[in-house]
Amino acid sequence: MSRRFLDLARPSRRHWLGYLLLLPAIALVALIIVYPLFVSLDLSFQKIGMATLNAPRKPFTLDNYRKLFSSPDFWNACWVTIKLVVVVSAACFAVGLGTALLVNNRFKGRTLARLFVALPWAVPEVIAVVIFAWIFDSSFGLMNWLFIKLGVTSQMINWFSEPTAAFWVVAITMIWKGYPFVSIMTLAGLQSIPEDFYNAAKVDGASALQRFWYITIPVLMPVLGVTLVLVMLWVFRDFSIIKVLTDGGPLKATQTLSIMTYDQAFGFFNMGYASAIGIVTLVLCVIASLLMLGRKSQAMY
Amino acid sequence: MERTRFQSFALYAGLTVVCGILLFPIYWLFVTALSTLAEIRQLPPSFWPAEPQWSTFTKVASERPILLWLWNSALAAIGSVGLSMIVSVLAGYSLSRFSLRGGRSLGLFILTAKMLPATLLVIPLFGIFRSIGLIGSLWSLVLAHATLIIPFTTWMLKGYFDTIPRELEQAAMVDGCSPLGAMFRVVLPVATPGLAATALYAFVLSWADYAYARTFLTNAQGSWTANLGITTMKGEYVTDWNEISAAAAFIALPILLIYLFLERYLVGGLTAGAEK
Repeated sequence: MSRRFLDLARPSRRHWLGYLLLLPAIALVALIIVYPLFVSLDLSFQKIGMATLNAPRKPFTLDNYRKLFSSPDFWNACWVTIKLVVVVSAACFAVGLGTALLVNNRFKGRTLARLFVALPWAVPEVIAVVIFAWIFDSSFGLMNWLFIKLGVTSQMINWFSEPTAAFWVVAITMIWKGYPFVSIMTLAGLQSIPEDFYNAAKVDGASALQRFWYITIPVLMPVLGVTLVLVMLWVFRDFSIIKVLTDGGPLKATQTLSIMTYDQAFGFFNMGYASAIGIVTLVLCVIASLLMLGRKSQAMY
Repeated sequence: MERTRFQSFALYAGLTVVCGILLFPIYWLFVTALSTLAEIRQLPPSFWPAEPQWSTFTKVASERPILLWLWNSALAAIGSVGLSMIVSVLAGYSLSRFSLRGGRSLGLFILTAKMLPATLLVIPLFGIFRSIGLIGSLWSLVLAHATLIIPFTTWMLKGYFDTIPRELEQAAMVDGCSPLGAMFRVVLPVATPGLAATALYAFVLSWADYAYARTFLTNAQGSWTANLGITTMKGEYVTDWNEISAAAAFIALPILLIYLFLERYLVGGLTAGAEK
């Protein structure tokens, strides 16, 4: 037998088998992602109510995009989305980093502590919504009792009919559901720092704070950057938490771009218009992640 | 690092407080499920039921088709994970072992698919599925969840295959294996832990879906998944929080158990790639 037969890297061999193995994935992705994406791009340029494939094509129009950029609802949804992304990501990072650093200490039972500190990660979003809807229930909810007990308010707050309150309920639910991801990623990053780094720094007389600032933070930076983008994308696109918790209300105070897209498509059956909002959302997502990660964007994967 | 007794105490105290606050919602879910209706409507609230009402669980399970919902969720997950794993294993192996022209850009495309908002993709998928009669059928979820899963699994699996030395296949081929045989008989068995971790993570992704189930299955009660079913309860039973909580506990339990016992694998999948 010649060596060449065994060489996987031999061009003639690697081509047909490699492509053959990719074929099912290409076919499936083309069918369920690429083709639908083109359909929605196409829909966004039509004045169309209910989308079906066999319906005759409507004439090409830019009306959906024109209507979108002149709609106060769209700008409201952008503002709500940005507020939510900033608030939730910042809080997820504060809680996630804090918990990760706490359980990164050496102590008895730390394996268990690590497990429990990120437990909300394993609670499905819809279930998290059920829990928080009950905690913030206006008549028997725990939060009203707590607020009155602590003297923050004197009256029961109706959390879901007060715009600011509803926004915070959504934010808190998302923070609770999102922080464990930051903890998990941070812990994974912390484990890749060799103990030697710290010992060497100690020999040189670095204080705990200096060690944190000059070793931990720089080593964690790439992981944290990727994590930040993933968390922001998650908040940006979230549907289930807001839909089930507040349905975008009250007075559109929690209506993000995702919720607006969905409501236009399946509430009002303006699928052309909804597709336009969706396409704009996607473009914003892609631009934002490219800006944040720059050329490092490939590291994200 | 040595710690003084005070520092150890502060550490444990801090941990207890932090975990207490962060995990309280989960505790509260189970306490509410075990309380009587009178108990959950009293102020100040009782933080521990006088007599745990296990019967709420049996009541909810018999009055509501929760087991059917769970079964539907499981079917959709098994179908979509199965489909996604088959294509992702082959594609991940190809991306790891063959440096194909165009392979890299294809890989990058699959990755950008992670950024797709489900609320955008759901619109054309609804139109397509309506035209081919999949609305109301769990098959619609199998395909829709694959759009969520494949972008993750393909790259996770590529990462796992990258850690397996090529010499393994080369040795197998010296012994007369075909390249495909080497992959199936040698590489895949070695990669089993990675495959299991990836499949587990994909299962969690599918189990968590609400957007697709709501859109495709709302009018087909027999196909409701767990997440869809429970949101219908939230709408109608505004005050019976003990029953809703019991139902929610049923639905949360599978993933909580998977997490508690198989956390290592799940987290391995979650952080794969991002560390590089």
